[in-house]
Amino acid sequence: MASMIVLSATAVPDHLRGALSRWLLEVTPELYIGTVSARVREELWASVTACADDGTAVLAYPSDNEQGFELRTAGTQRRRPADFDGLTLIAFRRESKEDANLV
Amino acid sequence: MTDPTTHPTGPPRANARRKLAAPTVAMLPRIADSLSFLYLDIVRIHQDDTGVCAEVTSERHGTETVYLPTAALSCVLLGPGTSITARALATFARHGTTVLVTGSGGVRCYAATLPDSLTTTWLERQTRAWADDTRRLAVAGAMYEKRFGTGTAPAGSTLAQLRGLEGQRVKAHYRLLAQQYKIGRFRRAYDPDSWDTQDPVNLALSSANTCLYGIVHAAILALGCSPALGFVHNGNQQAFVYDIADLYKADLTIPLAFSLHASTNPEAEARRSFRDGLRLFKLLPRIVTDVQILLDPEAQLDIPDPEEQLVDLWDPIAGAIPGGINHGEGP
Repeated sequence: MASMIVLSATAVPDHLRGALSRWLLEVTPELYIGTVSARVREELWASVTACADDGTAVLAYPSDNEQGFELRTAGTQRRRPADFDGLTLIAFRRESKEDANLV
Repeated sequence: MTDPTTHPTGPPRANARRKLAAPTVAMLPRIADSLSFLYLDIVRIHQDDTGVCAEVTSERHGTETVYLPTAALSCVLLGPGTSITARALATFARHGTTVLVTGSGGVRCYAATLPDSLTTTWLERQTRAWADDTRRLAVAGAMYEKRFGTGTAPAGSTLAQLRGLEGQRVKAHYRLLAQQYKIGRFRRAYDPDSWDTQDPVNLALSSANTCLYGIVHAAILALGCSPALGFVHNGNQQAFVYDIADLYKADLTIPLAFSLHASTNPEAEARRSFRDGLRLFKLLPRIVTDVQILLDPEAQLDIPDPEEQLVDLWDPIAGAIPGGINHGEGP
């Protein structure tokens, strides 16, 4: 069953952006939306994590849990999904970017 | 440019901003749809320019900020070591989120806030059913049948008879589980004076039941019902909580407690497994629909009307009539 995915990529190489736009719509720079099967989603995400270089990426897709979706991240960024007894919220550090990257 | 979506200026924009700050009922998820609960402890919760955030400090990640989805949460359980600002509390109230002050692990409910925006529909239904002795007995009978199956409460039985039947059933359930786990004779005891000398099953059961009471309490408050007006239980501020919690003990806490009969730390283990079980059991939406069906079996439980007036006036003949209008101008 195909389901909608949202993929955000930041500072990834141009070839990856071009490749992603073959499967998904780039609705605003580096934000991709589309409906693909779980299999295609896994393949795309594997390519994104492999090609992201210094960039970062976030993937959101529907899932059978309380919130109705799951999140995946690649690369290091200030925001990270944090688990609160089964509830996923976003935790981030307020300090400067350099500080956050040290973690 | 004539497209209003590209340049939102003037009144529509001001309106939209106000709506985001103080959402209407239609914008908030229904209790059964929203996220069941968020348990926080050892955090500082405050409101900044945009939203409510919790500052979480951990050894691994240092101090981090977590924005809380206030409008999507039905209740927040604040454990020990939490501090919260008045402005953050006000935002929770405005978004209809129940805030509970609880003991460690979400067990025991010390205090709770009730959102001001809550409709009183369910409180009214509860008090009507409670104040009428015939209807109160009918609800008690329905609770009994919910636990032990349709047709198990003989028509016309008194509360005393129902209590007697309930006692026998629960005892039989204990006996069956005791046999299953081969632990000989089991006797339910919760004497606070000899707490530490109790067997693991009793300790685990008490601990898991306290968790259950906390969650049921939150659900009852989120509906706007009174936790004090019980149908089977009486004369306690948590009487209704005990009534509703009893519906789930046979499925949830009793088997869990018996499975921990060999545990060395039954209380903590019971809390942990209970939390895991809840996720699968989807307890909060279940409690909400069960309470609604018990209090008003004929009610149509569908989407609330977005045009619904928040405050109605009561009229003995016409029922609820819309408020916010000057009725002095009428005929």
